[in-house]
Amino acid sequence: MTLLLNIAVDGVAYGMILFMIAVGLSVTMGLMRVVNLAHGGFALIGGTLAHWLGTEVGLPFALVLLGAVAGTIVIAMPLERLVYRRIYGFGELQQVLATIGLTFLMIASVNLWQGSSLLSITLPEGLNRSVDLGFRQLTAHRALVIGVGALVILGLWLLLDRTRFGIRLRAAVDNRDTASALGIDTGRIYMLTFALGAGLAALGGILGAELLPIDAYYPLRYMVLFLIVVAIGGLGSILGSFVAALAIGMIETASRYLVPDMATITFFAIVILFLALRPRGLMGRVGA
Amino acid sequence: MTNKPGMIALAAVSALAVSSAWADEIKVGVIAPFSGPFAQYGVQYQQAIETYQAQHGTAAGDHEITFIYKDVGGVNPDQSRALAQELLIRERVDYLAGFTFTPNALAVGPVITQSETPTVIFNAATSAINAESPFFLRTSYTLPQVSAPAAEWAYDQGIRSVVTTVSDYGPGIDAEVSFKAAFEAKGGTVTDSVRMPLSTTDFTPILQRVKDQAPDAVFAFLPGGPPTFSFTKTYNENGLRDDGITFLGTAETEESNLQALGDLAVGLHTAYHYSAAHDSDENRAFLDALAELHPDGIVNWASVGAYDGVHLIYEMVAAAGTDGPAAVEAALGLAWESPRGPIEMDPETRTVIQNVYIREVARNPETGLLENVETGIIATVGDLGWNQ
Amino acid sequence: MTGRLLSIFLILAAGAAAYLLFPYNLAFLTRILIMIVLVLSLDLILGLAGIATLGQAAMYGAGAYAAGLFAIHVWADPVAGLLAGAVAGALLAAVSGAVLMRTQGLTLIMLTIAVAQICAEIANRARGVTGGADGLRGIRPGKVLGLWEFDFIGITGYWYAFAVMLLVFLALAIIARSPFGLSLRGIHESPERMVAIGVSVYRRRLAAYTMGGAIAGIAGALSAQITQLVSLESFSFTLSAEALIMLILGGTGRLYGAILGTVIFMAVHHVAAANDPFNWLFVIGALVLVVVFFLPRGLVALPVSLKRLAKGGRHAGT
Repeated sequence: MTLLLNIAVDGVAYGMILFMIAVGLSVTMGLMRVVNLAHGGFALIGGTLAHWLGTEVGLPFALVLLGAVAGTIVIAMPLERLVYRRIYGFGELQQVLATIGLTFLMIASVNLWQGSSLLSITLPEGLNRSVDLGFRQLTAHRALVIGVGALVILGLWLLLDRTRFGIRLRAAVDNRDTASALGIDTGRIYMLTFALGAGLAALGGILGAELLPIDAYYPLRYMVLFLIVVAIGGLGSILGSFVAALAIGMIETASRYLVPDMATITFFAIVILFLALRPRGLMGRVGA
Repeated sequence: MTNKPGMIALAAVSALAVSSAWADEIKVGVIAPFSGPFAQYGVQYQQAIETYQAQHGTAAGDHEITFIYKDVGGVNPDQSRALAQELLIRERVDYLAGFTFTPNALAVGPVITQSETPTVIFNAATSAINAESPFFLRTSYTLPQVSAPAAEWAYDQGIRSVVTTVSDYGPGIDAEVSFKAAFEAKGGTVTDSVRMPLSTTDFTPILQRVKDQAPDAVFAFLPGGPPTFSFTKTYNENGLRDDGITFLGTAETEESNLQALGDLAVGLHTAYHYSAAHDSDENRAFLDALAELHPDGIVNWASVGAYDGVHLIYEMVAAAGTDGPAAVEAALGLAWESPRGPIEMDPETRTVIQNVYIREVARNPETGLLENVETGIIATVGDLGWNQ
Repeated sequence: MTGRLLSIFLILAAGAAAYLLFPYNLAFLTRILIMIVLVLSLDLILGLAGIATLGQAAMYGAGAYAAGLFAIHVWADPVAGLLAGAVAGALLAAVSGAVLMRTQGLTLIMLTIAVAQICAEIANRARGVTGGADGLRGIRPGKVLGLWEFDFIGITGYWYAFAVMLLVFLALAIIARSPFGLSLRGIHESPERMVAIGVSVYRRRLAAYTMGGAIAGIAGALSAQITQLVSLESFSFTLSAEALIMLILGGTGRLYGAILGTVIFMAVHHVAAANDPFNWLFVIGALVLVVVFFLPRGLVALPVSLKRLAKGGRHAGT
């Protein structure tokens, strides 16, 4: 029983981080039809800004978080306007090439600015403290991750279900041309969605830095992991990404508890089995 | 195939043989990662080499020594071998050095045997490398060399039960095997051995499993960088320290990532051959000279491996010039005072015999920075993995 | 037919010129040749048949380990080793392809990545056989065709790899113009139409994937014989991704693109890494973006684009 609880708690915390980083990727891939391999780069930019604001500027953690996410969005918006807008029209392969090129430039920039070693993000004293759950201890930091992840999914649901922006976004995902014909300014929606995705990636990157530590090569190291979340969740589905991220968090955690020696093989075998049976993922809105 | 360029290339090789008579300039080719996630290694090597040359000049005997750096990227034996060939044929180097990863070193084995080029390994730590060619010399360490003393020290401290947790790849398994053998030989028990996949990002499940077994200590081996960072964090956060489970490691608290670990690292125990905080005049001189050249430079085991490697090359050049076999002969049995302490090139294993220290991470009251404080020498050993 | 003869002549001339111009860099040139073979295999799969993959390293690695083990335990003959590599690559491609070829797009890409990762993990865990992370060592290939020994400078290695590359290129050129090749192009452009005229898309794709696997296996086998060591990195995602970049850089579906893209990428990497390794990613990132924005069809389209530019064409490359 304790084992199950352990798997659940650790799996959920891990899954929430994956969700926050990957959800933007899923939406951009579903909405703009862009194979955006540079998405992890926004988590890297967020993490790097957080490292800089925390250790070199010396701001308190709340401001660090806010500043880094805002900074990432400020970088992402013009990038969308100037570069991505042109990439949308490319074929799939050209998109892969272009976004890998962007990833290289992001890595090279961080490398030049902060070097290639680990970039730590200073946490306030309170977040390092452990909370007693009865059957085990959990750091306040992990509890925060779970809490923020839950808020993010709730916020996204409200945004999509209850606001005009959400209705337009869903319309655009379902059918871009019709939405555009109905007078929805898809260009604006694209930019806002892209910024939102980049901001969430930054948030996930910073909060997840304890599990997926930030260094210049972060986007390449975890690219496959994020893409797997999207593929399993289904392109363009926020709920799908959420369920997929939690499931992947649970599976990885469970296999490390139960069969650490075989964890990698188990994990990929499950991924292959699942995708072979459900090529469109859990709830893909558009064909993969 | 005996056309003109073939002749040119053959001429190059015969020039190689001729050059072994006498030359004013001796070139050393350094093969290391200068790009990618492991670029730090190349930087450490280069800084240490420049420091040595700043301290001791660029001449050894009658020869002027120059270094040529080549970037191998990461684990890339194809590239490593191609670079070695390019350095030997085109640049006509007489010595090779560097090598961070075992496959990269193994790949040049046949090449250096054929060209009789002394090759000094600055880092790669698998025992078996030196058996691949009689021209390999190693100024770093091997994993059994530091893991076995860690086990013996732990037993002497009253630790009787240990869980080993190592990354599931060659070096990790070497560390696990030699730790276990040494610990059980003393009379202790290794209650569980966990091999963690290299791709592990969340170590909570593994450390929770260790915690539930409540051993006296947990022995860990992980590749440097992100995995070590996550592992040590998780060790603290899950209350293993509070439960009195001692952390035993080797390279986990190395200097280049130590400050990033923060206060959570304080009190971690490791057995290793070099700490930048080693208390000796040689080490202080090394640190000062390096800081003068590179004010932001960090010194760790890779730096000292390169620094001693350069010393070894200087000694070989002074003794034998460009004569490869004679140079190796001159190196064997050579003893000197390194920044890490006294060391000696073992004639049998061609890996240095050195002190292994037990260290504890603490904050330096003056600088406020974390450092590995040496609390004692626990062994003076050569490569313990040679005959396995 | 004259076109094919001309292309053979051009490649031979380029190979001889490289040999004459860079006699001291044969080891590096040989690495380029091996990479060209791998990228050519990708061109068959991706360029011709339109199968998107980021896991070509799986077959490359399988070929490398198979050829290495074959040389150590069975027979040191290099050509037999190539065959062993080809068989291993083809087998892995056929078995995994049986599942993979039923999917497409992102799902397919993820599956190809997963297969390569599993292969790497199996090789890592089978330490007794593969040497694990230390690498498979002790590969000592014999004389090529019983005549030419692998020499220190790498003359034999260079011409051996060159001959293999040329043969692979010719085989692919023939396949591309065969009815099978044309049907692959048809599938790439419009699978629905091919189904309508009674072609089994799945079988053709599986056949193409298996052939591509065999060629990737040959590339892996070459690298095992030249380096005399196989590491786990032969299965790495980076290798698959770099091969893909080189192909798209050069231009897909035309075989020349594979050669051009590989040569340019590796040469730029070599020069940039030699001059400023710490920042070479800037150079390669910029190169990739310039190509994708100004030459979307790849570097092979450069002459056409220049011609158009010279004529005062408004938009180069499109």
